[in-house]
Amino acid sequence: MTKRRMFLRMITASLLRRRSRMMIALLSIGIGATILAGLVTIYVDVPRQMGAQFRSYGANMLLLPKEGAALNRDQLAGVLETIPQDELIGATPYRYVRLDMTSRQQSFTAAGTDFSQVPKTSPYFSIEGAYPENTREVLVGKNIADNIGVKTGSTMELTYQPTDSGEQASPEESRTPNAELAGSAEGFGGGTVYVTVKLDGQAAIASLEIDAGTQTPEYGGRAAEDDNFLKQFIGKTLPLALGEDVDALSGATVTSEAVVQAVNTARKTEKAARPQTLNFTVTGILTTGGEEEDYVFLSLDDMKTLTGSEQLDVVELSVSASAEQLEAYAAAISDEHDTVQARLVKRVTRSEASVLEKLTALVFLVTLVVLLLTMICVSTTMMAVVSERRREIGLRKALGASDGSIRAEFLGEGLFLGLLGGILGGILGFVFAQVVSVNVFGSSITFQPLLLPITMIISMLIAALSCLLPIKRAVAIDPAIVLKGE
Amino acid sequence: MSLLELKNVSKIYGELKALDNVSLHVDQGEWVAIMGPSGSGKSTMMNIIGCMDKPTKGEVLLDGVDISKESSKNLTDIRRDKIGLIFQQFHMVNYLTAVENVMVSQYYHSMPDEQEALEALERVGLRERAKHLPSQLSGGEQQRVCVARALINHPELILADEPTGNLDEANENIVLDLFAQLHREGTTLIVVTHDPEVAEAAQRTIVLEHGRIAREVINENFGK
Repeated sequence: MTKRRMFLRMITASLLRRRSRMMIALLSIGIGATILAGLVTIYVDVPRQMGAQFRSYGANMLLLPKEGAALNRDQLAGVLETIPQDELIGATPYRYVRLDMTSRQQSFTAAGTDFSQVPKTSPYFSIEGAYPENTREVLVGKNIADNIGVKTGSTMELTYQPTDSGEQASPEESRTPNAELAGSAEGFGGGTVYVTVKLDGQAAIASLEIDAGTQTPEYGGRAAEDDNFLKQFIGKTLPLALGEDVDALSGATVTSEAVVQAVNTARKTEKAARPQTLNFTVTGILTTGGEEEDYVFLSLDDMKTLTGSEQLDVVELSVSASAEQLEAYAAAISDEHDTVQARLVKRVTRSEASVLEKLTALVFLVTLVVLLLTMICVSTTMMAVVSERRREIGLRKALGASDGSIRAEFLGEGLFLGLLGGILGGILGFVFAQVVSVNVFGSSITFQPLLLPITMIISMLIAALSCLLPIKRAVAIDPAIVLKGE
Repeated sequence: MSLLELKNVSKIYGELKALDNVSLHVDQGEWVAIMGPSGSGKSTMMNIIGCMDKPTKGEVLLDGVDISKESSKNLTDIRRDKIGLIFQQFHMVNYLTAVENVMVSQYYHSMPDEQEALEALERVGLRERAKHLPSQLSGGEQQRVCVARALINHPELILADEPTGNLDEANENIVLDLFAQLHREGTTLIVVTHDPEVAEAAQRTIVLEHGRIAREVINENFGK
């Protein structure tokens, strides 16, 4: 038998045959290791856990088109690739326009969005009814619903009026070769006349379409069909003057003037630059306590039908990542894409970071205290073990054990206890963390395979440290105590 | 040939002279008993001979080496190599079996050898009790295990402190027979006792009184 085997035999015998005392030491290490492993698991998992929790406060990153650029849904997919899929909780695009409800002479801000994403970035949205699932369905903010008296199941007729927003090119700037222009002007009886103008390579009129549906059919209404009237426009350069470039349609001077004015003021614009009216069914009423209650929400497809555009105003992102990580993503997105800039919702990310910091500090502190308590407990137990075994230690020394042997034996027992306690603690600690996680955070945690060896090493380290003082005591024991009289 | 020699050895604790200018000479292979009332200095002498204490004054030569000036680490080495100890209260490691207790001595000395340890137990008649824990052995059996443990490393000197103090007569005789056997094999034996019968088994008895050697008795009947 080798010395090492005898060493192990003595140590295991000491632990196995002197159960009660060693069970206490094992238990204290085991419990310490359990709490340690549990807290470390939670410590590691807290940012993830809290990240998920924080996400219920809404989006923490915004994507906006850069100055003078446009953002659409196709670009969005590319931009989102910058953020790892498992960290991206949701990305909700929004397009805001004013819509009119002619029947009530009301107009609202309407938001075109992707309803599959809304609950992910705005979990606090409270819906009476359901989110729209199909086109021609709307979600109506509570204030609007109260004002106009709609409820789930009601229908709403909403109209998009193209506006002369400053963002559009002026008529003069629009007259570039091959441009497609649209314009309108007030005609006879207050009705609007719409024109669509296509320019050729020399910026002269290539084709003209007139919509004079609002004019008296047998007079102004003919403008749209009268080839002779239309022909006058072809090949002319803008602007035109009625009576010089174009002769008025007989009996429809007002309409003709309106057509010429519409052509002269025509500008590059989105295709459906004319009012579009759609019928919607209300699927739900939205309560948020915020400004969203004054909005009508509809699908991006409907928004496209109404405005003829796929343009987006803002995309709200909910990303489960640390503040630094978010900054990095935002910088990367802004750098990599010409048209998109990313901004953090500081209000959300800052408070998240501060809460996280405090929470991790707390867990760290508790872990430290637990480690200290474990050490005190193990040290006390080992101290008791040493005084209980004074005679045995004296005997061993009398039999020729060197101080080194005594140290090795006690340290060996300590490390063995640490190992057993570590295994015990690693397993129980995971259970402990799981229980805490489920009860406090409401979500389960994944087992970290590294946890077991780490807990084992730390417990062994603690056990070894706790044994230092008791070992010092043991080494100091006088072998003469085994003789008579003691 | 001399194995142990004490030259004018004194051990002084403050005012108390536990040993007062003691000189003693023990030959290789000799069997010596040390007697005396409590407080006579027997334990102090035992500690010094057993390399567990150092004298205040004087020289102690064990196998030619002066152990009175050695460091405690060297004393441990010398004790391990040269001395087999037997105690009144047996002192076994209570969570180790009989054979393991014998092997502990081998472990500190050189190399544990279970076969050899079993043979030593065989010699003290406890082969079949090898796997028993001390709590499962009688006092006499425990002391016999201790004898096996003391002789396992073939020490030059066996130092026994009241070896039969806690034994009944039958076991006392067994232990004394074992001593006689060891003596015949040439082992030097020093037995501290207050039992005249145990002392009479030895060749020579040293009687201590007040830290001095009061008298020395040669056992005329030794071996008869």
